[in-house]
Amino acid sequence: MLEHISAALTLAPIQRLVNGHAWFWPLCETIHYVGMSLLVGIIGVLDLRILGLFRSMPIGALKPLVPLAMAAFIGNLITGIFFVTGTDSGASFYIENLSFQLKLAVLLVALINLIIFRLTGLEEAVYATPAGADAPYRAKVIAVVSLVAWTFTIVFGRLLMYNDTLLLFLGL
Amino acid sequence: MLEALENSALAAWVRESPSIFSYTLVLSLHAIGLAIVLGTSTLIALRLLGVAPAIPIESLRRLQGFIWFGFVINLLSGLLLFIAEATKMAPMPAFLIKMSFVVIGMSLGQVIRKKVLEDKAALATNVLPASARSLAVVSLICWAVTLISGRLTGYPELVSGMLGL
Repeated sequence: MLEHISAALTLAPIQRLVNGHAWFWPLCETIHYVGMSLLVGIIGVLDLRILGLFRSMPIGALKPLVPLAMAAFIGNLITGIFFVTGTDSGASFYIENLSFQLKLAVLLVALINLIIFRLTGLEEAVYATPAGADAPYRAKVIAVVSLVAWTFTIVFGRLLMYNDTLLLFLGL
Repeated sequence: MLEALENSALAAWVRESPSIFSYTLVLSLHAIGLAIVLGTSTLIALRLLGVAPAIPIESLRRLQGFIWFGFVINLLSGLLLFIAEATKMAPMPAFLIKMSFVVIGMSLGQVIRKKVLEDKAALATNVLPASARSLAVVSLICWAVTLISGRLTGYPELVSGMLGL
């Protein structure tokens, strides 16, 4: 089944783009790192504030930056799609890679966590928290899950090219 | 001297150990550290440019502490990554540019602290001094150069081609 998914995700026009221009891949990587940094700088700081750091900040002050974090995520989604569909050896390199699979899994955790944050109304309560005050307890659970999930998204992303090391570590 | 570093037991361990806690852990820490430094520096720069004006100037000083935390992670992980391939990295133009701009970027952070974040009038009124905007733009450019040159250390042939070397 993975072969079918890989075959479907390998896109020759993107592969031609990658092979035809040596700067394209490093450009996508750079955009991917910018996105990652914006997510850490904005969502990471928001999570840390929820957990009690940087208390001089009213949490609502960060709200205008969240759309930028979302744009960063979309940029990473797009560059991520270029990587998967355009890599020389075909999408199977990623689809059959345990690090990549785990990266998608923790990313899904991060996204579900975000949906819960919104649907429970915790997001509104958090943004209403003034300087010096504590965010609601349940928001702190969301913040920890967010920090852990995004950290491991970065870690598994880094491990993509060192998947053998991960397999060795897991005894697989 | 670069060869001596590269041949050291520590460098060999970083480079050759099959353990997930050597090269791969160091790489992961370096990615996390750079995200902290770049991301938080960007947040501060955006605030200085007037985005999210409700963020108190006082908070930006605390956030600079977070940048230092990320910087220390990257200094330590960076040293380990460097010694593992010292003879290859040291002469690389992309690496030298990256290192220069890391120094410039962190120094700029200090200038921002003295001129803006510790400006008594700004702290009292939450209104920024005139220098804030230009410092913010220079900061963003500086970290962008660091990121791009850092990425390009993985593509030495591409850089040589671009520089006509």
